[in-house]
Parts: sequence; structure tokens; C-alpha cells
Amino acid sequence: MTFRRFLIKRTAIAAILTLVAVSVIFATLRMLPSDPFSGLVASGALTPSQVEELRALYGLDEPIWVQYLKYIQNLFTFQFGLSLTQQRPVSEIIGPALLNTMVLLLPALITTAIVSSLAGMYAGWNRGSWFEQFSIITTTFFRATPIFVTGIFLLIIFSYGLGWFPAFGMRSSMANPEGLAATYLSVDFLKHYILPFTATVLFYSGDFLMLARNSVVERKGSEFLKLHRAKGLSEMEQLGRAGRNSLLPLVTYFALRTGMLFQGVITLEVVFAWPGIGRALVQAILNQDYPTVQAAVFIMALAVIVMNLTADIAYARLDPTVEAGDV
Amino acid sequence: MSLLEVNDLKIKYRTSEEDVHAVNDVSFSIGEQDNYGLVGESGCGKSTIAKTILGMLDDNGEIAAGSVKFKHRELADLSESEWQDIRWEEISYIPQSAMDSLDPVMTVGAQIRQAIHKHRDTTKAEADERVAEVFEIVGLDPARTSDYPHEFSGGMRQRVTIAMALVLDPDLIIADEPTTGLDVIVQDKIIDKLLEIQDEVDSSMLLITHDVGVVAETCDEVSVLYGGKVMEQGATYDVFMHPTNPYTMGLQNAFPVVDEFDEQAISIPGSLPELTEEPTGCVFRNRCPFATEECEDGHPPLTANGGQLSACYHTDKADEMREAAAEPETWGLEGGDDRETSHEPGDVILETDGLEKWFKQTQSFIDDMRGAEPDYVKAVNGVDLTVRQGEILGVAGESGCGKSTLGEVIAALQPRTGGDIYIDGTSVDDLLAESTKKFRSQVQFIFQDPFDSLNPRQRVKAAVAEPLKIQGYDQETINRRVRETVSDVGLNPPEKYLDQLPAQLSGGERQRVAIAQALVLQPKLLICDEPASMLDVSLKANILNILREMADKRDIGIVYISHDLASLTQIANRLAVMYLGRVVEIGDTRDVVQNPRHPYAASLLAASPQTDPSVNRQRVLLPGEPPNPVNLPGGCNFAPRCPKASEECRQAEPKRSAFEDGGHEAACYFPVEDVETELLAQYARNRGQAKVQSAKEESIEESVEGE
Repeated sequence: MTFRRFLIKRTAIAAILTLVAVSVIFATLRMLPSDPFSGLVASGALTPSQVEELRALYGLDEPIWVQYLKYIQNLFTFQFGLSLTQQRPVSEIIGPALLNTMVLLLPALITTAIVSSLAGMYAGWNRGSWFEQFSIITTTFFRATPIFVTGIFLLIIFSYGLGWFPAFGMRSSMANPEGLAATYLSVDFLKHYILPFTATVLFYSGDFLMLARNSVVERKGSEFLKLHRAKGLSEMEQLGRAGRNSLLPLVTYFALRTGMLFQGVITLEVVFAWPGIGRALVQAILNQDYPTVQAAVFIMALAVIVMNLTADIAYARLDPTVEAGDV
Repeated sequence: MSLLEVNDLKIKYRTSEEDVHAVNDVSFSIGEQDNYGLVGESGCGKSTIAKTILGMLDDNGEIAAGSVKFKHRELADLSESEWQDIRWEEISYIPQSAMDSLDPVMTVGAQIRQAIHKHRDTTKAEADERVAEVFEIVGLDPARTSDYPHEFSGGMRQRVTIAMALVLDPDLIIADEPTTGLDVIVQDKIIDKLLEIQDEVDSSMLLITHDVGVVAETCDEVSVLYGGKVMEQGATYDVFMHPTNPYTMGLQNAFPVVDEFDEQAISIPGSLPELTEEPTGCVFRNRCPFATEECEDGHPPLTANGGQLSACYHTDKADEMREAAAEPETWGLEGGDDRETSHEPGDVILETDGLEKWFKQTQSFIDDMRGAEPDYVKAVNGVDLTVRQGEILGVAGESGCGKSTLGEVIAALQPRTGGDIYIDGTSVDDLLAESTKKFRSQVQFIFQDPFDSLNPRQRVKAAVAEPLKIQGYDQETINRRVRETVSDVGLNPPEKYLDQLPAQLSGGERQRVAIAQALVLQPKLLICDEPASMLDVSLKANILNILREMADKRDIGIVYISHDLASLTQIANRLAVMYLGRVVEIGDTRDVVQNPRHPYAASLLAASPQTDPSVNRQRVLLPGEPPNPVNLPGGCNFAPRCPKASEECRQAEPKRSAFEDGGHEAACYFPVEDVETELLAQYARNRGQAKVQSAKEESIEESVEGE
């Protein structure tokens, strides 16, 4: 099978998966026993006839399959409708929150993926060295500690103790920036950014370090490295080849993690009061704000599916022995 | 002038418990443009020596004494960066397992270029040119330099590593078992290539192998190693024509040769000495039938005897020893005299009728929907065989010919897709329908790998008793039968072995436990899939003898599957040769080996190396490789590679009875009469033509460029 056919096939599968995912979201939310209006009736704020009007306004009186078709159509044109509780388009709620989350998590993940993987490869190559043991213990410690605990300790030490960084939010309450550049490229933002960024980097470092270390350890005794050594390659060049041969699990893991970033990390966002997608989602669920929940869940599912597809393609590209048909 | 001089080399491995003295006082020297062989069984220290010469000794290994001088430069004291300059530039290396010696995520061309760029300051274009050159030398298509290793077959990958070894014109090439793991025809082509290259380039070669035949055919000088010591050293011809050391004699006798029939293979009893201390006596004394008290007094020094050096106190009696060593009794083995007179095979125990095992290839979903006929790999395709009581049927063939699948299908370990199997006249389906347990008690299987096929936590007693327990025998019978069987397979006294764990046994002993496990139920039919291929030569012979004895004594029918023709001819009454799922030739072993009629069988038999250095064998340069088993051409499967093929062969596939003479059948319209002239000379000529052809094309190209 050629690479092109493989690509078409995988993309088709991803599209079908997305459709299944959104259908599940639709069905699940419709099966919930209550809707936001019934609560209003019970509290006496609305009369049943007013509720009927409202339901008609949101299209809830139409047959279920018409609702479903409209839902699908709107989703795939990225029209998420109006929030039930905030009276503004869902995209206005989710968009900025998602951006805040990605600005925090994506650079952190990339940083830790590169640094920890390289460190892990080096640790695996020098098995039994103090560097290996030290790096494993440190990163496993941070991986085992919940991210909000690390966050709280960082706050206690660097914010309340030393007073180097602000403790709260994404910008100081005095700042009121306009536009993306002013929001994300200011010294004020950087100060608020460093602590949550550090917590994230520390939290994810263990995964990449152990993955990289283990696959280099696995490669280390292999015949082809022996031949590379016999060819006169230096220690670092040999490690380079071992690392290149260890990329597969790292790339796969990176892609899957990136897909999951779109859910945000709710505990981190709460500790640092970061206005991210995780918090937005929890609030929406508490308020039974279904359009917002639907949209957020859809974006998460889509992100995971797309990143899975990316991982598959990377696999076929990185490892020539993977027959495109096998994946 | 000698290129490499190894003097009194001692190498120790430190382990957590005690040191292992892997190499003790080994000396040899290699001259320029020499082919030097180090031969010995596993654990003799040959690979350790190779690693030392490349400076790649494992971390826990160290040179305890002695020197390794390369071009008068001491290698033992070099720093790692000095080593990096010498490696490949001056000493290159052909690894053992070509299958995993190439970096899987790098094109073969890039891997070779990497070696060039590391040592020479060249442009990519110049390097590419050199890569194409060496590809040409080893007989690979230079257009394939940008392919990845997995796109090459095993034999071609080995050619890639040879090309890589040649690329910088090193002074010394170390080849560590370069042909082990390759099929015999491929091995022959690789050896031919190595020798041809030797003539063309002026590198020396150090060949490390356990295969006496390969050394005898390729090397000018040889050292025979045992237990970290040189036992015998000298010109290959002298060493193998007139060995003066008992170990060399034993090794050579144990090494099976294709055209020696019915001679009981002579094994060397006992096992390797523990090397935890420096040897205090002759390292071979506990296995040597000629050992005297004198042999306890330190390892004998190498003394000149005839043309060679030998480490033995009794070299003066070499002629007598040689004569005695040819007799199995000398080695404490029972005589094999009654073999010729062994009774005629009894009733038919196994019959297969048009047996088929086709593996369906996956096809695309759309083709499935359209109802398109899927492709099949016809691993076993219409095989008719019979095995009688007390008879050993050998099944020979190269890897991928379907011989292992055949064994598993007969033992009902895999379902068949067509044909019938009868055990003792009853169809296997009926037997299985009646009772799977009963079927299993009648048909047993011995696997290739004695290290994986035994449960590491089960003691010998429990392992051998398990089949009996499953069959529901009472404890007393179990104990008696286990003891008997363990003793029958040569683990004597049984008490010594019954409570041991597999980890405490040597490879040969483990395989004997596996055989005992199969025999304890007194099966009617035993299927052995390469049972001796993982064992050293001296142990291999022992396993063969046990199987032969069991067939004779217990009237068991045995199907013995192997790629090793030499052991097959020693053990099998009848021999079947398979090619791409079909039996192409079958008959009495002697008939098949002496007068092979099918061109493929004839080529296969002719490709086995000879341990006798005085024999000048013509190499088998069979063109191409077995075709892709999915899309086989019509007609005879072998026609595309056969020099005798005609239109008729390509039209219709010959029946197995196309040639018939008594019990000897061959599926060929034009049975071979004379192997040398009809096949081998033909292969050589065709190859010569191909070369002339390409040379002509080159000269034309050059003249075009000139204009």
C-alpha cells in the first residue's frame, strides 16, 4: 500500500470516529433526566407556556432526528450556538479559554518532551551512573506528586516566601491589555506564566524521561549499534543513532499527550487561577450549560482523534519497516 | 611481515561471583593478504578474541596479560578516541547476524557513507560513487543503495555488511560467523564472494566460526580453540588432513558430512570445563579418551609436530590416536555396528495424502466485498508422505520452504486446509474427535530451542512426568517410566538429573530432557523440528544418536525436519527435499544423496561444505532467491532458476512421479544425470556471462561518456 492510500484510509477512519464521538455526545446529553428550564419552572420563575416558547426558540420542540442533523451541521461549521446561562455565543466563551490553556500547556509540553527525552536518552546510555539514578528519582517524584501539590509548593516558596512571582491569575488586576500581542507578550504575563509553566514541565518530565531511557537501554546491546561502534563512530554519534531508533514511542506519546491538552488541567488552573478551558468546562457542567459542554467535549474529542492520526502518520514516516498497511 | 600479532593473550571477565578466564595464553599471527581461521565451539573464546582486536571487549572484560600488535603498534593501550580512528579505517568487521546488524531506520547506502565520512574527508558524491563500487563488488544492484535494510533478504543483508567492510580498503577484516544462520546455498554464494574479494583486494581476513567445513574451504591457516586455549595451529590442510590433537580429531569426527551414510556420528562426551580458574592441566583432559596422568601437569605447550603446532603431550602417538578416534568406542560410546543390520521398517505409521496448508493473505476491504479470490501463501502444497515404524524420514529444505509448517500440521498443532493425514490407518480427524488426549499420546513433537521449550521453574522430574499426569497414570508407573526414559536418553544416572532445574543443565542436556518428555508417553510418531540446530557440533552428534537408537529400539516413526543436510543423511532412512511447499524429491537417503535427480535437490546437496581440505568442491552459484510464495509462476516452481528448464517446465507442473526408480521419486521432466556439468558448470557460466554482459555495458557507457 502506498503512503497516499494509507493517508486517505487513516483520514477516513478519523472522520468516522469523529462522527461517532459527536453522536455519543448528542445522545448522552439528551438522555440526561433534567434540562435547564425545568429547574426554572420548579422555582416558579417561568410558567410552563414560557418554557414551551423557550424550547421552541432553541429548537428543542423539533423531532429528535431534525435536532441531530442540525447539530451535526452546526458542529462541522464550528457554530456552537448560544450559551444558555451567559447569553453569548459559546465560541466566545470557549475560544479565549482554550487559547489560554494552549499558551500555557503546549510550550510546557514541548519543552519537557525535548529536554526530558534527551536527558532520558543520556541516562539510558550511561546506565548505572549517578545522573541516571538522580534523574529517575527526581522526575518520578514530580510525576507521583499531584500537579496541584507541586503548584501549591511553588506558590508558597516563590510567591509568598520569596515574593518573586505573583500568585494569582494571568495578569495583574491593574493591567487591561488589548489584542493578542499585548496580552501574551508582556513582562507582566511572563511573571504570571513562570510558576504554572514550571509545575507543568516538572509534572510531565518523568514520562518522557523514562520512555526515552527505557528504549535507549533496549537498543544499547543491539547488533547494529555494535556495528556503528566498529565503524568508528564516537560515543555521542552512537547515542544519536540509539536515540533515532528510540523515537517511535516518544513521538507517539507526545502526540497523544498533545491531544489530551485540550481538556486543560483543571487542578492546575484552579491553583494558579488560570482562566483556562478546564475551569470553563467545569463551570458549564455545573450550570447545566449544554451548548457549551457539547462544544467543549467536541473539541476535546476532535483533538484526540486528530493527534492520533498525526501519531500514525509520524509512525509510518519515522519507521520504514512499518508497512503502511500494518498501522 | 605479519600484520597482526597476538602474543600470550589472556582475557578475564569479571562477574559478581568469580572471574572467568575466557582466553588463556593465545598466540597467533596473521600475515598480509592471509585468510586466517579461528575455529571452535561456543565458549572457546573465539569471539572474545575478535572483540579484543576491535577494542570492543564488554565492560567487564579486561586484557589480563599479553599483547595484541597490529602493524607493530600495541592495541591494548589505545584510548577510545585512538580506537575510533583505527576501527574500519584499518580493521573492519563483518558481524554474525546480518538480520539485525543494520540500522533499521537508515538506508543501507547512508550507513556505508557514514563509515566513509567518518574517516575520510569526501563529498557526498564521491562517497556515493564508492558505495556503488562496493555494491558492485559484492554483487548487489547499485540502484538499491537508497533502500532500507528490511527490503533485503538475509543473504543480501550479509552482502551489504560485506560491502560495508570493504568500503575503506581496510588491512584486516574480521568476519565473525559470517554465514551462520544463512541457508546452505546462500552460504555457498557468500563464501564464494568472500574468496573472490580476497583475490581482488589486498585485505587480510580473520574468519571466526564453529563450522569446520567453512574454515577448511576458505582459510590458509587455522587455530583450533578449546576452553580459551589454542589446541592446534598450522596450515589448514595439515591441521584437518592430519590432526595431531585429540580435540581436533573429535571435532572433525563429530562434524557431520553429507555423503557419509549410516556412520554413527561420533560425539565428544562431557561438557566444557569451568573457566573460573586458570587451567592447571590440559583443558581437554576430562573429555579426552587419551588422557593420562601426565595431562594433569599443566596445559601442554604448543609443540611442533609435522607441519603444525599441537598442544598435547601425546603428539608422538598422533597416528594411533587418529585411528582410534575414528571408532565410537574410543569415546565411550556404544558401537554402531548393528546399524546396518537393523531390522526392516515395519508398518506404515503416518500417511499424508495431498496435505495442504494455505495461509490466506489479507486483502483490502473493497476486494473482499467484490468477492475477489484472495491470494494464498501455499506453505504446504499437496504433500504425500509415508513413515513406517522404526523409520526416520528426513525433511530438508531452505528456510521458508514450508518444512516446519508441515511438521506442525502433521502434529495437528495447526489446522490443515486440505488433504488427509492418517496415523496408523486412522484419519487424524477421527482420532481428534475420539480423544485429543489419546492423539497427543501417540504423536509427539520436539522443538528447536531447548532453552525456551522447557519451563524454567519445573524440575526435570516434573517436566518429564507432566505428560504422564495429563494422561492419568498412577504415581508408581509415572516414577518408573520417568526414570527409565531419562536414562534412555542418556542422562545417567537418572538420580543425578531428576531434581535439577533447566538452568542447571547444559544445552545438550536440556534437549535430552525435551526428548525424554516426548518419549515418555511411548508415542508411535515423533516429529522433530531442527532438534539439534542450536547445539554445538559435539553435542549435536549425541542427539542424533539418541533419536536413531529410539527409532530402532522402540519402533517409533520419526519425521526429522532440518536444513542441515549433513545431519539428515546421518540419521534418516529416507529423505524428502522440499521447495516452496512441495516435496520435489524423495527416496532412500543413499539414492537421493548420491544420485539426486531434481535440479534443486542436487544443488542443495552440492552446496554443503566439506571438512576434508583436500576435496576441491565446485561452488553452487544458483542464481536468484526463492520467488515470492504469494504469486508463484505457473508450471514448475523451480523453473525460473533452473538451467535445464524448457517451455514444458513453465507450462505444466511436473508430478512427483515424473521420475521414478523404485522408491526414488523426483518432480522433474528432465532428471539430472551429472550434477557438475549439467548444473554447477552451468550456474558458473551463466554468472560469467552476466558479468561479461555488465562489463560490456560499462565499457559502452564509458565510450559514450568519452565522446
